[in-house]
Amino acid sequence: MAEAAAPAPPAQPVETRSAAGRGLGAGLGQYAGFLPALVLYGVFFLVPLALIVAYSFWQTVDYNVVHDWTLDNYRYFFSVPTYARTLWATIWVSLAATALTIGIAFPFAYWLVRYVPKRLQGLLLVLVILPFWTSYLLRVYSWLNILGPEGAINRFLQWIGLTDHPISFFLYDRPAVILVLVYLYFPFAALTLYASLQRFDWDQFKAAMDLGAPPRTAIRKILLPQMKPGIVTAVIFVFIPILGEYLAPQLVGGARGVMIGNLIVNFFSGAQYTRGAAAALLIAALIVVLLVIFRRSLEVKDPYAT
Amino acid sequence: MPRDVEVVSPRAGLVRGLLGGWAALVYVFLFAPIVLLVAFSFNANKYGTFPFTGWTTQWYGEVFGNYQIKDALTTTLKVAVEVTVLSTVVGTAAAFPLVRSRLPFRSGVRIGMTLPIMIPGLLIGVSLLILFTSVFHFQLSPQTAVIGQAVYTTPFVLLLVAARLQGFDPALERAASDLGANTYKRLRYVVLPLIAPAVFAGALLAFTLSLDEFIITLFLIGGHNTLPIYIYTQVKFGITPEVNALASLLLAASLVLIGLAFAVPVAARKARQSLRLRRA
Repeated sequence: MAEAAAPAPPAQPVETRSAAGRGLGAGLGQYAGFLPALVLYGVFFLVPLALIVAYSFWQTVDYNVVHDWTLDNYRYFFSVPTYARTLWATIWVSLAATALTIGIAFPFAYWLVRYVPKRLQGLLLVLVILPFWTSYLLRVYSWLNILGPEGAINRFLQWIGLTDHPISFFLYDRPAVILVLVYLYFPFAALTLYASLQRFDWDQFKAAMDLGAPPRTAIRKILLPQMKPGIVTAVIFVFIPILGEYLAPQLVGGARGVMIGNLIVNFFSGAQYTRGAAAALLIAALIVVLLVIFRRSLEVKDPYAT
Repeated sequence: MPRDVEVVSPRAGLVRGLLGGWAALVYVFLFAPIVLLVAFSFNANKYGTFPFTGWTTQWYGEVFGNYQIKDALTTTLKVAVEVTVLSTVVGTAAAFPLVRSRLPFRSGVRIGMTLPIMIPGLLIGVSLLILFTSVFHFQLSPQTAVIGQAVYTTPFVLLLVAARLQGFDPALERAASDLGANTYKRLRYVVLPLIAPAVFAGALLAFTLSLDEFIITLFLIGGHNTLPIYIYTQVKFGITPEVNALASLLLAASLVLIGLAFAVPVAARKARQSLRLRRA
C-alpha cells in the first residue's frame, strides 16, 4: 500500500484508481468480483444466445432436434407468404412508431429545455419517466380500456354525438399498435433528447440569430447537426425493443396487427424450436445491422473510465 | 440563459404557446390511460368502461377474496425476493472490478454487461427456454423464471452501484488501510457503508422490475402464475373491473417502490451532510 500511496500524487485520477484497485486484492484477485456475473451472464445469457444461433441452423425431425447444419428454417420462413409479410410489416411498424416517437418527443424536449425554469425541469422530467417504471404489461393493458369498439374513446365520441359508429383508427388494428408503441417508448426518447439538448451550447444558437439567421435556420443549421448523436441514440433505444415487441400487437393488434414477436411466441409454444430460433435470429440480425449503420454516430460514453 | 434569445424573434410568443400546448398534450397522453384505469376500477359498471354508473370498492373486495390472485401474489413475491437477492449480490460484486481493476476493453465490457437491458426480453426468454428444456432438461418452475429475470435485472444494480463506487474518494480507503485496516475491515467499515444507499436502491429497483416483468416470465415459469401472467391470462377473456382493480394495486405498489428507490439515496446523502455539519 505504501508504494501505491507514495509516488502517486492525488491529482492524477488514473494512479489513484489503480491504487484503490490494488487495495482490494492485487493481481487476478481484483477480478474476483466478476466471477458470479461471469456465471450468470455466461451460462444464462451468452450460452443461450449461442444456442439460439445454432438452433436456427439445425432442423427438427420427428420432434427431435437434429444437429445437421441447414438453412431450411430460414427458407421455410420466407416461403410462407404470411411470415415474410409479417417481417416487412414489423419493420414498417417499427419505423413508423420510432419516427412518431421522436417527432413527438423532440418538440417536447425542446420546450422543456428552453421555456421551463431549471428547478421545474427535473420534476417535469420525472413525470415523463414515471409511467416507464410501472409495469410494462399494465401500460399496454391500460389501452385496452381505451381502444376497441367498446373502448373509452369510441364510447366517448358516440356519447357526445360526434359519431354514431366506432372510428376505425381506434379499433384493435395496426394504427392502435403504433399508438401504444409510441406510448410505451416515449420516455426513452424524451430522456435521451432532453440530455442532448441540455448539453447544447445555446450561445451558438444566439450567435447565429445575431448574425441574422431566422430561428428555423438556426435550428436546422446549428442545433440539429449537433444533436445528431442524441437523436441516433434515441432512435436505437426506441427501435430495438419495438422490433421484439410481442404484447402490444397481441393485445391491441387484432388479426392484422401481428408482428414477428408474435410469430416467435407461436413457434415456441408449438414446440417448433428451430423455426422459432430462425425467426428470433432475424430480429437479432436487424438489430446488428442497425448498430453497424449507426455505430459512428452512436453516443457511447464511458463514465467509469478516466 | 436561453431566455434572452426570444427577444430577437417576433413570433416567439406564439411558438412558446404552441410548444407549451404540445407539452400539455404529451402529459395527457402519458397519464390518461393510467388515470382511466384507476377510475374504471372504482366504477360500478361491470364492463369496466364508460359510462360511470357509480362509485364502488366492490372490485377490490373481489381481488382480495380471489384465491388464484393470492396464489399468484405468493409466487410473485417469492420470485421477486430471490431475484432481488441474486441480482444485488452479483451486480454489486461485479461493480468493483468494473470500476477499479485495470480492465482491458473496459467500455466494451461495460456495454456487454448492459446488453440484457438493450435487447428485447423476448430473445432472453426464448433462448433460456431452449437452454432449460432442451439442454438441461429442467422442469420449468418459478426458479427458472428467477434466473431469467435476474439476467435482466442485474445490469440495473450493476450500473447504480458502479456509479456510486466511481463517485467516492479512494483516499478514504487508503486512509483506513494506513490506519491498519485489512481488506475485510476496509470493506465492512468504509466501502459498504458508503455504497449502501446505492445497493439498497438497486435492490428495490430489481424487486420492482421483477414484480412487473412479463415476457421472460411468460416463457420460463411453466404452469405457475405471477400477477402479470395472471392478468394476461384474464385479459384473453375480456376486461373486467376486477382486473382493473388488481392492475391499479400493482401500479400503486410499483410507484411506491420506485419512489423509495430514488428517495433513499437522496435522504441518506442529506442525513450524512447534516451529520457532518453537526460535527463541524
